[in-house]
Amino acid sequence: MIATNDVITKEVVFNSKIDNVWNAISIGEEISKWFLKADFKPEVGYKYSFRSPNDDCEQIHGEVKEATPYKLVYTWIVAGTNVETKVSWELQSTDEGTQLYLKHSGIAEYDEDTAIKMFESFNGGWDNCISGLTDFL
Amino acid sequence: MEDSFTKTLKALADPSRRKIFHTLIVLASAIPITQVVSEFEISRQGVTKHLKVLEDAGLVHIKTQGRQRYCKADAKPLQEMNKWLQFYDKFWDDSLNSLTDYLGNKDV
Repeated sequence: MIATNDVITKEVVFNSKIDNVWNAISIGEEISKWFLKADFKPEVGYKYSFRSPNDDCEQIHGEVKEATPYKLVYTWIVAGTNVETKVSWELQSTDEGTQLYLKHSGIAEYDEDTAIKMFESFNGGWDNCISGLTDFL
Repeated sequence: MEDSFTKTLKALADPSRRKIFHTLIVLASAIPITQVVSEFEISRQGVTKHLKVLEDAGLVHIKTQGRQRYCKADAKPLQEMNKWLQFYDKFWDDSLNSLTDYLGNKDV
């Protein structure tokens, strides 16, 4: 883990072709298979949403800011909060396959209450909605 | 209004303040501000300003004793920050693991 201030950075090498990785992170049907149920298109301005796999409530939404192979950037807003963070994926072909640089920034914007809600929700493996708040609003 | 978590992060976003904070953490005791000034190549005013920001974030406590002002570091506000970073750290680790699995199955 490399964490500077409010940024999380991950570097992973996948033993896969760059286009396979790109599709896996940028096409809704594929994202849904390994991440959260996604309504997502790699088009700038697209308002995407990620839903929990079991229940069908919205967990994350945001807007695609950049989607040119092989760089994907979108805002990341957790349901029930107004905090906008940013997730950026960058891919690079290497000898072993594909190198991913993932960056999640803006984490400083969360307040402590949100932290508690997120923890509770995350501990349920995202199966539970962060709906307490969403329903309330 | 800024919450304490944001304050902590902003206070530590500055490299000079990080250095001062780190030095105080290592020393682990209250030391006179004059000593802090002599440790760094920043003006007394600069150090005082940085200490004030750290104090506002709860990362440093400043006490006046006689004619001296003493400061002491407090790491407590960092715990909140760690919680957050840990949360997303684990979240992305888990997610990237399942992405690796997904890609592996797809290539076979």
